[in-house]
Amino acid sequence: MKNKEMYYLKVKRSDKNIVRTEILLTPLLIGLPMIIGILLICNWFYRGLLTYSSVFDGELILGIIILVSNIMFDIPFIRSLWRSFKEN
Amino acid sequence: MHRSNVNRGEKENQIDRIKKKMDSVEFDAHWYRRVFHTFGASFLVYYLLPDLEWINLFKFWAPILLVSFAVFLECLRVTGKINSGHFFGLRVYEKKRFGSYLYFGVGVLILLLFFPQQIAVPCILCACIADPIMGELRNNLGKKQVYIIGFIICMFLFLITWHKADMWMMFLVSIAGASGAVLGEVKKLWWLDDDFMIQIVPAVLLLIIWITISYFGFVPPEPIIYSW
Repeated sequence: MKNKEMYYLKVKRSDKNIVRTEILLTPLLIGLPMIIGILLICNWFYRGLLTYSSVFDGELILGIIILVSNIMFDIPFIRSLWRSFKEN
Repeated sequence: MHRSNVNRGEKENQIDRIKKKMDSVEFDAHWYRRVFHTFGASFLVYYLLPDLEWINLFKFWAPILLVSFAVFLECLRVTGKINSGHFFGLRVYEKKRFGSYLYFGVGVLILLLFFPQQIAVPCILCACIADPIMGELRNNLGKKQVYIIGFIICMFLFLITWHKADMWMMFLVSIAGASGAVLGEVKKLWWLDDDFMIQIVPAVLLLIIWITISYFGFVPPEPIIYSW
């Protein structure tokens, strides 16, 4: 695939409402994976740790992986969004 | 009366100001797409939902309806009935074909409905985590290094999910799965997105292993996520 094809389609001035919708979606994009990660860790805590069962250890690791990977990409995303807000 | 009108006017002004501010933002499509990828890990909630009749019905129909809606929207867009400008973050090559997010959704749908959890979970995580990391690394490192790091990340994800299996099975699955995921990512086709391939190629490889080990009397490991 050519490099030019990897560019993003430009959003027209008249389509700015779309961008607004995307901004409003941001809390869902960031929040939901965090909640799922926390739920997995809670599941491990209540059903695994408190009952001395190692069956749920996988859920702990999955929860941590989901949380860390999301934070890793959320930070630059929020930073870029914040920068754009400030610039305008 | 007069005071409440003034307050309403102030509020409307404030909302207008916020709207204008939002509209003036040059939203970063690059990071938006990356975050959309990691957001996909949320679909693992599917395995947390309790095993009740009505919830099972929901678990079956909700993903199908969601993906069908996306297919409908994409059909309208590709045939020109909806302007591509209405879809934020699309790439130039996606203008005349279905968007990557649809391939991603179809891949997740197939995995959730037709594959055992032990296969679906690491394959979904490869698309959600390994793919954006490889994409980011591509900006700074050479292709070979990116694929090696991608292979290691995918292998780690398969190791985690199959940690309850016998050692030989765990390594066999990890190597096969990671190879499949990297292969799915390496081969970029215009008509078939890597977001789909990175999930389905390792899933098919793992399914073959799954059937083979079951045929020889070995037992695949228990699932990693237990429903409530």
